Amino acid sequence: MDPRFIRNFSIIAHIDHGKSTLADQLLLQTGTITEREFRDQILDDLDVERERGITVKARAVSLRYRYKGQEYELNLVDTPGHVDFHYEVSRSLAACEGALLLVDAFQGVQAQTVANAYAAINGNLTIIPCLNKVDLPVTRIDEVLEEMQTVLGFTDEETLRTSGKSGIGVDDVLQALVERVPCPSGNPTDPLRALVFDSKYDNFRGVMTYIRVMEGTIRPGMKIRFMKGGTNHEVLEVGQFRPNNVKCDELGPGQVGYFVAGIKQLTAVHVGDTVTEAGRIAAEPLPGYKSPQQMVFCGMYPIDATDFEKLREELQKMSLNDASFSFVPETSDALGFGFRCGFLGMLHMEIIQQRLEKEAAIDLIQTAPNVTYELLMMDGAVNRVDNPQDVPVSGNIKEFREPVVKVNFIIPADGIGPIMQLCNDRRGIYKSTEYLGPTRAQIVYELPLAEVIYDMHDKLKSVTRGYGTMDYEIIGFRPADLVKMDILVKGNKVDALATIVHRAQAEKRGRSLCKRLKEEISKHQFEIPIQAALSSRVIARETISALRKNVTAKCYGGDITRKRKLWAKQKEGKKRLKQFGEVEIPQKAFLSVLDTGDD
Amino acid sequence: MSGTSAEIRSAEPRSTNPVRAAYLHIPFCKHRCGYCDFTLVARRDDLIPAYLDALELEISRALPEPLEVTTLFVGGGTPTHLSASELSRFFDIVARWFVFTEGAEVSVEANPWGLTNDKIGVLADAGINRVSLGAQSFDAALLQQLERDHTAADIESAVERLRPRIPNLSLDLIFGIPGQSLELWNDTLDRAFALRPTHLSTYGLTFEKGTAFWSRREHGALAQTPDELERAMYATAMDRLPAAGYEQYELSNFARRGFACRHNQVYWAGQPYHGFGPGAARYLNGRRDVNHRSVTAWLRRIQSGQSPVGTTEELSPEDRAREAAVIGLRRVPGLNRTRFAQQTGFALDVLFGAALQKHRQRGWLEDDGEQIRLTREGRFVADSVVVDLL
Repeated sequence: MDPRFIRNFSIIAHIDHGKSTLADQLLLQTGTITEREFRDQILDDLDVERERGITVKARAVSLRYRYKGQEYELNLVDTPGHVDFHYEVSRSLAACEGALLLVDAFQGVQAQTVANAYAAINGNLTIIPCLNKVDLPVTRIDEVLEEMQTVLGFTDEETLRTSGKSGIGVDDVLQALVERVPCPSGNPTDPLRALVFDSKYDNFRGVMTYIRVMEGTIRPGMKIRFMKGGTNHEVLEVGQFRPNNVKCDELGPGQVGYFVAGIKQLTAVHVGDTVTEAGRIAAEPLPGYKSPQQMVFCGMYPIDATDFEKLREELQKMSLNDASFSFVPETSDALGFGFRCGFLGMLHMEIIQQRLEKEAAIDLIQTAPNVTYELLMMDGAVNRVDNPQDVPVSGNIKEFREPVVKVNFIIPADGIGPIMQLCNDRRGIYKSTEYLGPTRAQIVYELPLAEVIYDMHDKLKSVTRGYGTMDYEIIGFRPADLVKMDILVKGNKVDALATIVHRAQAEKRGRSLCKRLKEEISKHQFEIPIQAALSSRVIARETISALRKNVTAKCYGGDITRKRKLWAKQKEGKKRLKQFGEVEIPQKAFLSVLDTGDD
Repeated sequence: MSGTSAEIRSAEPRSTNPVRAAYLHIPFCKHRCGYCDFTLVARRDDLIPAYLDALELEISRALPEPLEVTTLFVGGGTPTHLSASELSRFFDIVARWFVFTEGAEVSVEANPWGLTNDKIGVLADAGINRVSLGAQSFDAALLQQLERDHTAADIESAVERLRPRIPNLSLDLIFGIPGQSLELWNDTLDRAFALRPTHLSTYGLTFEKGTAFWSRREHGALAQTPDELERAMYATAMDRLPAAGYEQYELSNFARRGFACRHNQVYWAGQPYHGFGPGAARYLNGRRDVNHRSVTAWLRRIQSGQSPVGTTEELSPEDRAREAAVIGLRRVPGLNRTRFAQQTGFALDVLFGAALQKHRQRGWLEDDGEQIRLTREGRFVADSVVVDLL
């Protein structure tokens, strides 16, 4: 395929601004899928994604479009829309020369609009701005155009009007892709260089490696080499996504597709690696990607200790399809043998956890997530700590450092006060305010990641009545006056409940945590004191009184079903219990650590 | 005719018990008390004639012929809210469709207020031989708190007037009423004993979702009795009733020897029973059907020839066994290993081994190798025990 007739592009947008719907229209109007094959959001193929209506993993599809008598190949590389998956976005963008930037005609520019647009600009991509959902009953077209001009510098003239729902402007989009996005460069006869942007395990073919060819040509029979992985393989099949896998003879410069090379294990394929020809190795590998940084960690423990090996296998499976997820075995006095798992963010964590429960059917106890910390020790060593349990006694620590993020809020103007209050309460450092128009503003703060990940998004939504959005990026580690807070249940330290808190907030957090635990742990035969302590100094205490009475009075003919269901519900609440000494602690209690005590 | 049905029965597996019990629900009250979540309507006496027609229709559709019963229970609502003539129409229907076997137990729930001699006459003439009186308390302030319309004197008068015609009398009593002290509970027990009923039921007040009491508690307008006090009240009942000659046979039920309510034991033993009227439950062929709880929905459905059933439940054999264990444990004699296995096909220890051991260790269950029962301590926390058996 002549690269002059190829265009590679992504669609970037804030969540819910209509990305998948527009993608479906592009597929439909280019005849890539028929009306009959049409189903909603065809690009999201993980169950979890379809349930949540968000795209998590990048995927690709090849469209054929005839323009002025010439057939073009338009390769759409899909991107995830959530803040946790910046890394995946950058991965997709590296395979493209252009991007469609969708902005909802009512909601306007939002935090991920800005973040994604900058990612595309930094990647030297040509951006085609689209005002999407223009057929909504209520729009703010003029104001949104002004926002796009103010924040991102796009003019009214270059901005297309589109609707994925009704198909308005889809042909304009296709034309603009051909006319505005540069065609890929690269010589088909040069030594092969192809960027690995994803991989997937297929039960019949083994590993399918998703690539974007930069230079040279890949075809079946060729011996290829992963430049970083250092392994050689013989190509058995190459193909394109149309949208199902369709074999082809070769993939040349600019083309996006997959190859199969009898690779049995996903671990052999590194996303970001460069594929070259074994006998004719390229001089330089492609720049590739930065490794994703796991910033959120939690412990996952099987309720039934005999499930440990099964859990290991399941985590292994998960990590094969998701390079940004990690796990290592750990032990807890309270919870026994389990794993410490690392994630890109909270959504990523929830998705993995849901998939584990759905696909593996293992009952899990999950500890409260925490961020990763950096400790400068007295002896000059710098240690990473992913688990509050691992924090050594404070005398050995010279400096306790936590990850700090730059948070970009886009909010209605009347939300500025509450947001600034919220950020100040959470140790934020104010950076800037910029008005996007008369009623909306962008505010930038630097905040400790730990203060952001748990519930900042919910809080933002509640103080802005749903209209505020946020995005953040890690800017590094900074020292802070942090301490480990232990929780004692009936006099015993429960390691899995330990948290790291700022000293100034310790008492408030301790009190609220003890109160939450009192609600979560049911009454026992005996009294249970719950204490929060810094080192050995108790800073908060609650007591769960002993169970003295719990009996349903009436249980006759008509009541039996109802009463049994009530009891069954009580039992459900007790299902995920972990026996700790004499005390049974339910799963939910471990997550109560997240309560920041604001309310 | 009856010969044919006997043949059919003998051809069926032994586990199919003949249905010998029925419950009839009369859903009318003068007003709804703040704690009550039963199926009833207040101030809709205009519906009574239609209800009586529909009741007969429901029974006639369900029964091929008049049913021979060993127990029949008429509950409410307030059955005695019906006028004497309405009551006698009700019992005409009962007489047409139910045949009381020799020594059958035929119970009716009654309210002390408005229980006229006329109505007592209707009950006695209809063959009612047991009355369960909703006394609840003998303290004027607490009766008012419960929104009951009767006084202690009404209870005493009702008992005196009932006894000559229907000597088998039970009183329902409630403890744990907001504002009730242990002393007041003792007073109520004293006055109940003085009336020499054959049977007493003592119920800890439950805040049921959807009741006025529930929402008042949510808003802080009504304080639930502290656990410790409510426990002391229950303990008092378990001490004083047996001392006064009422043996405890279930968590909430006490009776003089030979006067335990046989109808309720049908429920607890997992035996089949018919049920008629709005909200009534029936348990036939292992399936539990509960009629629509809305009186008007039940009426409409009967009138239009539709099934009055609102919810249906058919448990798996294992779930049935679990339910049998839960209900069985609430009875004082508890569970018998051999009988449980024969009845359910499951061994207690296989189904519940770990839970049984846990609660034995806590001192909530006692086990002589054959019989497993709640200890006295276990009765205070019975829900915590049974939850582990589900």
